[in-house]
Amino acid sequence: MDQGERGDLFDLVHESIVVRDLAGRITAWNAASAALYGWSAHDALGRAAADLLGDLPAPDLLETGRWEGELKRRAADGRDLVVEVRWTVRRDTAGRPLEVIETGRDITARRQTEAALSLSEHRYRNLFAAMAAAFWELDFKPVGDMLRDLRSQGVTDFAAYLAEHPEVARAMMRVTTVIDVNDETVALYGGQTKADLMGDVERFWPEASTEVYAAAVVAAASRAASFSRETRLRKLDGEEFDALFTACFPRESVGRGTLLIGVIDLSARVRAERMLHELQAQFAHAARVSMLGELTASIAHEVNQPLAAISTNASAGMRWLSRPQPDLEELRAINTRVVADAERAARIIGRVRDMAMRRAPATEPLSINTLVEEAVLFLRHEAQGKGVMMDLSLAADLPSVLADRTQIQQVVVNLAANAIQAMAAAEGPRQVGVRTALASDGRIAVTVSDTGPGIRPDDLPRLFESFFTTKADGMGMGLPICRSIIETHGGSIAASNNAQGPGASFSFSLPAADA
Amino acid sequence: MIHGTAPACEAVIMSTVDPLISIVEDDESLRQAMVGLVRSLGYRVASYPNAEDFLAADAGLHSNCVITDIQMPGLSGIDLKLRLAADGVTTPVIMVTARAEPALHEKAMASGACCLLRKPFTAEALIECLDRALAA
Repeated sequence: MDQGERGDLFDLVHESIVVRDLAGRITAWNAASAALYGWSAHDALGRAAADLLGDLPAPDLLETGRWEGELKRRAADGRDLVVEVRWTVRRDTAGRPLEVIETGRDITARRQTEAALSLSEHRYRNLFAAMAAAFWELDFKPVGDMLRDLRSQGVTDFAAYLAEHPEVARAMMRVTTVIDVNDETVALYGGQTKADLMGDVERFWPEASTEVYAAAVVAAASRAASFSRETRLRKLDGEEFDALFTACFPRESVGRGTLLIGVIDLSARVRAERMLHELQAQFAHAARVSMLGELTASIAHEVNQPLAAISTNASAGMRWLSRPQPDLEELRAINTRVVADAERAARIIGRVRDMAMRRAPATEPLSINTLVEEAVLFLRHEAQGKGVMMDLSLAADLPSVLADRTQIQQVVVNLAANAIQAMAAAEGPRQVGVRTALASDGRIAVTVSDTGPGIRPDDLPRLFESFFTTKADGMGMGLPICRSIIETHGGSIAASNNAQGPGASFSFSLPAADA
Repeated sequence: MIHGTAPACEAVIMSTVDPLISIVEDDESLRQAMVGLVRSLGYRVASYPNAEDFLAADAGLHSNCVITDIQMPGLSGIDLKLRLAADGVTTPVIMVTARAEPALHEKAMASGACCLLRKPFTAEALIECLDRALAA
């Protein structure tokens, strides 16, 4: 049967049909073959099929009569093809083979897509297994069902609903099950094998972290792309640890009802931060004690004033008492003054004790003006002794700041003491101004300015560096400690030379408590 | 303690013949205490929160004695004494200080202070000083 005899049908089918004789020569080549391989029937007919299409496997084809498989072939223009072929041996009535009929289907595109998919899946599995972060694949479907139920009951604000009903969030944890975890997860959570972590996820969530799980559910429901939050999670043995919890919601996995969760162990970082804070507090305390030492004379004077007043009042009282007619009015006035002076002395000693004591920093809403007024008392005598005028200019109606009173006072005292010292050798007026103000960004600013010689331009950038000092007996720790205190409070500190007149200014700003 | 109408000067007249003592002290409670003590001794008292107010009131001339703190904002007690001397006012000046430095004591005495009291001082010490000053 040659090509002409096979008729129109032969050229109308979509599959490639190639017929070869027992010698392997092509005897028929339909239109679909021409389209697939790029050779016309004219080119192909009479050629050896092996030459044109490559190797023809299946040496026992004539015995078995059939073969099918995928073959890599090359088109006329050099393109690589993957062709799914079926070979059938046609025999005569006596059963002798006559020819081989091949049907072929182009599956190149399908195979490429599959290869890309499997590569991507392979990569994903590799990442999942090998990343140094704990990954979880979770079955989230039942949570989706619960959310749908809630919606049908008229719940629209899932965040508010879950905040009010944490038990529903806990129930959602109980229906969220683990599909897979990586080795890092097993190690981090203290398991032996993956099997230890299978089951629902509720046991990994401490009560206090429920709202983070709820927020992740809300994020997933609101079609966010991802979610991440620092929280505390629980290991298999019940120990809690600080973690960065991340969830991503790629559309495909959300469609399948699975979630990919990443957990990064932050306990080392949190420990280091805690240690840093502790060290910083110790440093600040050491600096305060050293500052108190330097201000002993000034502080003694502050305590001495009310003591002197008490002693003087008592002497006067004795005089009035000793009169033939004791003057009770005078005595009453004296007594009132003695009580006030004793209270004043106690307050000063309390402030010194606060400065000297070592305790964990504690923030509370404070009036910056009161804080500044108290801090300046430590220095009043010091300033007078050095002929320095202290000038307070405190803005009215300032919002309060959220701060540790002792630490911020330490900063004010340190800056003002520096200002007083800076003018030890200054000619002309010696003035230290302490100003509070509301900055344009809503922060509360405190500026300590002096009329001293100012800061050398070369020194300006290094002022807040540790161990940098321009004083003969300075340690170079005062300003770095001021900076670390202010920055821990979420503020900033800066130094500059005064634009008008001599001297320098140090300013720090703190966020308002209600901001 | 009598609250005068002029804030800079609180004076009370015990008797027209009693000596007038002026007190210059910036610490309000100590100033009140000293006023009370000096009045209890039977003297008339005028008090000032700083040396400037004292000088502006020309109080040196009218006082029989001045008791002044040394460390004050603005002019010090020593400055006050030197100003009086420059104006030819010889009213005796008793100086009061919380400081113990010998250099300060020398400076005070060199300026012509008739007496120097360390805070806190006893009534007896003040009486002794006042007696000495008023006898001069």
